[in-house]
Amino acid sequence: MLTIRNLEAGTADKPILKGVSLTVNKGEVHAIMGPNGSGKSTLASVLAGKPGYEVTGGTVEFEGKDLLDLDPEERAGEGVFLAFQYPVEIPGVSNTYFLRSAYNAIRKYRGESEMDALKFMSYIKSKTKFLELDNELLSRSVNEGFSGGEKKRNEIFQMAVLEPKLAILDETDSGLDIDALKLVSNGVNALRSPERAMLVITHYQRLLNYIVPDFVHVLVDGRIVKSGGKELALELEEKGYGWIEEQAKAGV
Amino acid sequence: MPVDTLDRSRVLSSHFGPLESLLAATGDANLHAWRRANLERFNALGLPTTKDEEFKYFVAPRLNEVKWQLAHGANVYRSHLPKGLISKLETTTLALVNGQIAPELDVLANLPKGVILCGLEEAITNHPELVNQYLGKSATLDGRLGSTNDERFTYLNSAYLADGLFLFVPKSVTLDIPVQLLSVIDAHQGPIAVYPRILIVAEENSEVQIVERHVGINGEYLNVPVTELFVGQGARVEYTRIQTETPEAIHIAGVYASQHGQSVLETHTASFGASASRLDLNIDVLGEYAETWMNGCYVARGEQLVDCHTRLDHRVPNCQSFEVYKGVIDDHGTGVFNGKIFVYEDAQKTDAKQTNQVILLSPTATINTKPQLEIFADDVKCTHGATVGKIRDDALFYMQSRGIPENEARDLLIYAFAAEVIEAIDTPGVTEALEEMLFEKLSK
Ligand SMILES: Nc1ncnc2c1ncn2[C@@H]1O[C@H](COP(=O)(O)OP(=O)(O)OP(=O)(O)O)[C@@H](O)[C@H]1O
Ligand SMILES: [Mg+2]
Repeated sequence: MLTIRNLEAGTADKPILKGVSLTVNKGEVHAIMGPNGSGKSTLASVLAGKPGYEVTGGTVEFEGKDLLDLDPEERAGEGVFLAFQYPVEIPGVSNTYFLRSAYNAIRKYRGESEMDALKFMSYIKSKTKFLELDNELLSRSVNEGFSGGEKKRNEIFQMAVLEPKLAILDETDSGLDIDALKLVSNGVNALRSPERAMLVITHYQRLLNYIVPDFVHVLVDGRIVKSGGKELALELEEKGYGWIEEQAKAGV
Repeated sequence: MPVDTLDRSRVLSSHFGPLESLLAATGDANLHAWRRANLERFNALGLPTTKDEEFKYFVAPRLNEVKWQLAHGANVYRSHLPKGLISKLETTTLALVNGQIAPELDVLANLPKGVILCGLEEAITNHPELVNQYLGKSATLDGRLGSTNDERFTYLNSAYLADGLFLFVPKSVTLDIPVQLLSVIDAHQGPIAVYPRILIVAEENSEVQIVERHVGINGEYLNVPVTELFVGQGARVEYTRIQTETPEAIHIAGVYASQHGQSVLETHTASFGASASRLDLNIDVLGEYAETWMNGCYVARGEQLVDCHTRLDHRVPNCQSFEVYKGVIDDHGTGVFNGKIFVYEDAQKTDAKQTNQVILLSPTATINTKPQLEIFADDVKCTHGATVGKIRDDALFYMQSRGIPENEARDLLIYAFAAEVIEAIDTPGVTEALEEMLFEKLSK
């Protein structure tokens, strides 16, 4: 589904990703861990098409298409979804209106007919129930004045509504209390299917107890320095990143 | 004053002679003497230049260049009007075309007893005392604070006073259906100067929602409308003014409201059209415990100039006012906001808030913004703020990442910016209609 080969990217004056390679197949969940500043969010941003990053090398293929060649909205149309580490507030645009615009824009991109407001309301009601999202949040401006946890839940809610093929979750667990973490994980797990894949960026093994990954990768200084199964996350939890950084430096 | 400027001003004054006998036929000798006095006051000043403080940023070369002709009638039918408000609103509509009453565009519902909705000429003939009591009374800053008061275009409008629109809502009457006052201009036969006059009286404890529209159909013209709005003791008035002139037009307007005690006046102005537009909204608060809202939304694209001046006179204690103006400036457009608030010595416990926010959509867009608070009382709360920003890139990307195309996302963010103003309108259907107009304006 997603093939990243030797991806090098950064800002105009700073290389951040220094050759990332990763293959994600349908149905798989990959966790990406790594120290602060190692480039996890940058990887997510580059995949979603955030302006401000320059790709200086490598390729990204998504479902047979050159992902890097597409505008952000086209990537969404193709089925890529990024749950932001820091969701953006948009005063004046209601959550519902925003979501319906997004939902219909994606349908349009796929050559499908738009869904009218009434149908859409009942469609999203089913999703809010699942995430126990307060209906009041739907009529409020996107993320404006939402608590940290509400913002994160709203991201997952959007994901549930848009039903992407590839979901990239950037630290969706940070700022969630234990109950919310379960809700969000349930929401994510409900979307797991043989047709979908997920890239879960996190610092904590705790999330991976709920969303059990097929693979765990460790990103250090812009490179994936170690990959393994879910037990790698446990090992990291116990030992930290020091030993991996050492190994990486030693060229092991 | 340079000679050529004087000459140019005479283009506009020169219509008076040939028209005089016709003008004089409407109303009594006093009214006509008043017209002449206004003409003289205009002639003494002539057309403004950017050296005149109040017109510092009003750059409209065509105002001087064009040999404006006297307005003549035109046949405008409902099918010529842009879609939007008219079909959407179940309003009662009274219309002018090129400054003259246009019964073919009227939609007249049954109005409560005592309400008068008719052409101004008809009102002058049939209700002379009533008109006499109000006409010209609000539309003057004579004797008011301020060293740069400049009302030359109001003089010009008054000099040519003939037909117009008249709405009278008597004491304690509530109008359930909003009233649309529509002024349409069609200048397909050449550049004309038009002077529509609107007089609205809401007597004490009455309630009414008014939508005043200025719609351009064809061509280049100079529109100089004046509206007077009397808000009686305890009355509640919502007044929405929408300006969508043709892209070639020049629109120079004065709106004057006199507001009495315990009344609530909500004004909403939307300025979208014209090559150069100017609106002076003046609200004179004369009675205690009155509440005033001034919401405005203005958009300039291409080479457009949109100049918004507001003036609020807090003369008496214990009044509140809330002013929010939002500007969207794109391309080589220019926006001007000048917001004056005078708090008189007696006006203790005044609570006045003013905000002007602007987004610039291009590096060549310009905004000149000047809050001007002059406070002579000591126990008051007055605040003002002005911000100039652009479309937030992070919000744009967030929306795109959800599949919304860039253009659509941009429009949505602009709408969101203006929403605070547009969504504050209670008159049914108006928010939706303005939303549509705004999106249409942005998509061109
Ligand atoms: N737009 C940008 N402009 C400048 N520097 C940036 C930008 N984006 C990322 N960086 C820098 O690149 C490095 C990697 O940042 P990134 O956000 O990808 O890290 P991360 O692995 O997500 O960290 P964390 O775990 O703290 O979220 C950091 O040093 C960061 O400051
Ligand atoms: Mg990060």
